[in-house]
Amino acid sequence: MKLKFLRSATAVAAVAALGLAACGSSGSSTSSTGSGSSAASDKSVASRLILGGPPEFKTRVDGVPGLEKNYGVVFGKFTVTDTGGPVTVTALKNGQVDAADLFTTDPSIAANNFVILTDPKSNFAAQNIVPIINKAKVTDGVKTTLNAIQAKLTTSGLSALLTKVQTDKQDPDAVAKQWLSDNGLAATGTAAKGVSLTIGSANFPENVILAEIYAEALKAQGASVKTTLNIGSREKYYAALKDGSLDLFAEYTGSILQFIDGSATATSPADVYAALAKALPTNLIALDQSTAQDSDAIVVTKATADKYHLVSIADLAKPAS
Amino acid sequence: MIITRVFNWLTDGSNWKDSHLNTGILSQLEAHIRFTGIALAIAILIALPLGMLIGHTGRGTWLVSAANAVRALPTVGVLVLLTVIIAPHFHGRTDTGYLIPTEIVLVLLAVPPILSNTYAGIDNVSPAVRDAAAGMGMTGPQVLFQVELPCSLPLIFSGLRSASLQVIATATIASYIPLGGLGRFIYDGLAQQDYPQMIGGGVLVAALALTTDLIFATIQRYAVSRGITGRFARGAAARDVQSAVLTEPEVSHA
Repeated sequence: MKLKFLRSATAVAAVAALGLAACGSSGSSTSSTGSGSSAASDKSVASRLILGGPPEFKTRVDGVPGLEKNYGVVFGKFTVTDTGGPVTVTALKNGQVDAADLFTTDPSIAANNFVILTDPKSNFAAQNIVPIINKAKVTDGVKTTLNAIQAKLTTSGLSALLTKVQTDKQDPDAVAKQWLSDNGLAATGTAAKGVSLTIGSANFPENVILAEIYAEALKAQGASVKTTLNIGSREKYYAALKDGSLDLFAEYTGSILQFIDGSATATSPADVYAALAKALPTNLIALDQSTAQDSDAIVVTKATADKYHLVSIADLAKPAS
Repeated sequence: MIITRVFNWLTDGSNWKDSHLNTGILSQLEAHIRFTGIALAIAILIALPLGMLIGHTGRGTWLVSAANAVRALPTVGVLVLLTVIIAPHFHGRTDTGYLIPTEIVLVLLAVPPILSNTYAGIDNVSPAVRDAAAGMGMTGPQVLFQVELPCSLPLIFSGLRSASLQVIATATIASYIPLGGLGRFIYDGLAQQDYPQMIGGGVLVAALALTTDLIFATIQRYAVSRGITGRFARGAAARDVQSAVLTEPEVSHA
């Protein structure tokens, strides 16, 4: 009887000890990606900072390797956060990372007084907003309608629209209508009469807003419009554009070029746009690109920018005083 | 051939060591074991005493059902929700704000199997055995610790083992919020389209789960009384012992 008691007591103790041993094994070590020091430029500003971004940023040509190649910037550490989402923003705000890869239209940049470091050497390819459309659906009216929208879109304007949808929880369709009337594009007409198109969007708010803007404008011009919003990945919707089940999509010049032609090297807006026109399959064309860009950017907090006098990405490679 | 590339990834020594900007397999394995160990230790501290109490007294069985209902919670959803609530409260170079939500969801996952199996094990001890113990003059706690607990060890272990498997597999989602662990290779491999890394991460998780189960099986083998398992039992006398004591019911923990 005593033996049995001891037996069960040992069993419980052994199991508990196993668990405790596991958690006690290494109290202090951090678990995220990277374990700094020993960089080539040990004394640069960047070597003291932790960069946060999506997992693929570590290997992407315009990610960590690009920053080193173009600017000689080598961060002390890279921590995987998310793709320009709330995790990255919180980590930057709270100091888990010092610099982050965010998107230029992200409303949280202005909301948190983050500073976008300029990219004079165009490490990040241009990402101007461009409608990719099925050639068969391009009438003069459709073209005029969409190009008028393209001319009015700006990066900060888009960011403001995003704030309305993401922060104020407004309906993307209503936001789109409001934007059209604010920019004098809400006039009804018959320019696109007789055209019927299916407009798609990717599954992030900005792209949904753009699709809604195109849709509302074309509808107002008499086109018969169907929308398929929140399609997952580019693999999926690009295939749909190619086979004609989607007719119109708001794309980003750099991303779509890279997707079609992985070896493309163009980075400036004009070069990327020209390369894209060549790369697109025969049944698709790109209408005018807008000046509005949603590109990657290296973003730091106001405090970090002030402390190290950071304006451009190149400043990160300077020696830390 | 993808299998060769996975094998090469796993056997490449540089993938195991930390380097600038890269965390090696060893460090991530250690982080993974740490997340799992903390969660299991907390879950055992909660579920084992509670299960014993409920089984012994027969009171509060609704708690077992309630704990089982918790299993229906979508783990990733709870993790993201808790992270959004908790992480903004932690400033500076710390991952505590991400560690706490991760441990909470893992504990939520580990408690139900341990609790329900402990309860079921104790509850299913043959009334005849319990009567005999009481008849010998044993007190309530003596019956619980010296009779009921040893008799229910096989079930308790099966609960522990299923909890540990679940926690080890699910701890990969710690990488969904910015933490380390073996899930890092799965998420990063997918994002970087580096599929050998992704599959390699999966293989490592499976290997860790199997190793852990083996360790628990070994502990179980030496901790559980032969009178219960019938191991080494020979002859009629042993069989009698078995039929009298071995009332281990096949309670599934699904």
